[in-house]
Amino acid sequence: MQSSRARLFKEYKEVQREKSADPDIQLTCDESNIFKWSAFINGPSETPYEGGVFQLAFAIPEQYPLLPPQVRFLTKIFHPNVHFKTGEICLDILKNAWSPAWTLQSVCRAIIALMAHPEPDSPLNCDSGNLLRSGDHRGYKSMAKMYTKLAAMPKKA
Amino acid sequence: MSKRILCKFFTHGACLKGEQCEFSHDWKDESSNVCTYYKKGSCSYGSRCRYDHVRVPQIKTSTLAASSNSLPRNSASVHIQSAVVASSSSGKDNPSSPSSFHLSASSKPFFPQAADDNVTSQNNAEIQPSDIPICSFAESGNCPHKDSCVHIHGDLCTICEKHCLHPFRPSEREEHVKSCLKNKKYLEALRISQDIECCVCLDLVLSKPKLSERKFGILSECDHSFCISCIRNWRSNSLNVSMDANSTLRTCPICRILSYFVIPSVIWYSSKEEKMEIIDTYKAKLRSIDCRHFNFGNGACSFGTSCFYKHAYRDGRLEYVVLRHLNSEDGNTVISKDVRLSDFFREMRL
Repeated sequence: MQSSRARLFKEYKEVQREKSADPDIQLTCDESNIFKWSAFINGPSETPYEGGVFQLAFAIPEQYPLLPPQVRFLTKIFHPNVHFKTGEICLDILKNAWSPAWTLQSVCRAIIALMAHPEPDSPLNCDSGNLLRSGDHRGYKSMAKMYTKLAAMPKKA
Repeated sequence: MSKRILCKFFTHGACLKGEQCEFSHDWKDESSNVCTYYKKGSCSYGSRCRYDHVRVPQIKTSTLAASSNSLPRNSASVHIQSAVVASSSSGKDNPSSPSSFHLSASSKPFFPQAADDNVTSQNNAEIQPSDIPICSFAESGNCPHKDSCVHIHGDLCTICEKHCLHPFRPSEREEHVKSCLKNKKYLEALRISQDIECCVCLDLVLSKPKLSERKFGILSECDHSFCISCIRNWRSNSLNVSMDANSTLRTCPICRILSYFVIPSVIWYSSKEEKMEIIDTYKAKLRSIDCRHFNFGNGACSFGTSCFYKHAYRDGRLEYVVLRHLNSEDGNTVISKDVRLSDFFREMRL
């Protein structure tokens, strides 16, 4: 408990220090609870998610960093490895391949990489996975693009 | 023969040795109040010492016998050094010539010493410069007596920058230089280690709040740095059942290379050789400790021959294991320690 708090505090300081280092990730900590974080990540370029801003919610267990943080998308996203309704993410480093050397910042980077390289063979979103597996890249791209436009882009006034 | 001196513990009514005590338990005997440190050459209390700083223990030859544990070093080196001194004493800036010592009060004790150890050649009352202790004031840089000091002023050690090399004790000099070099290397390594961070808690390992945590956990197969508590916690972590021990927990959190053991160390290393040295010292230390699972042959240690701890029986005999390799048809080899009948049945495919 104490060690997880200390470690999160270190990460917080690190995030404050390099705020501008990675313009695609904006990681913020809940002001009253250091075990709740949220992040805004920019959709990677040359993907259907380009131009979208996606919000992630982090729930950090007390045994962190021995246990991985629980991360989910708050913004709706059409992606084979993200549950369409709950926003749950299927990513090995958040499950059995977790390592305590990962930080929240690096988890964000891994999620951006996952958005750019979907893994249709272990889908949480079967519709999206099926589209990719059947080779319908155009269909997948347009669906993903549509949802990005609908959910992840700031509404034009 | 040492029965002459009254036992200090006996006078307080608390000598545990009783009849076996080498000192006298007879109130008629006199107690000795001579400072043993002074006798050996340097008492750090100096004039404030509550024991007597006398070089001559009067008639008590027995005192010398009792304190003979301090003698072997001197007497052993006397043979060699007499030759060294003869040739070098003229050249060295010896603060006071040996003859001036001959007249001082401190010259006496060396008769019986020499006689005790049968060093007949040294019976003519000459004090060997190698017997004169080094001046501790000069050692730290400032002796008020300057050249008239009764002690020898040591030569400068270039490593620790102290005047602590005895001009007439070559073996001691060598020893000092050796330990000084080792010390310096250690301090250097410690200085470098100060800046090394643990990749799990992101703290500087040697600046952790708890003293017990200020230690590195070195992985045998890679060079990533962790503190011992973090890496051990991670490796023994059973919170997440989906994490496999060999593919996740026992691998390095950074490079994922599998390491079978972690070596605790206060300093970090900067070369392969230093790492090997740390590992070897650690293993050697463990090998001197009896394995509590093996329990002198009464228990069973599941690590078998790979155990780092000592597997020895009560009589000091080491465990001797002949490993039996069972080969199966598909080329796999199984090591079986306790050979069971069923092992053979399995091969026969009954």
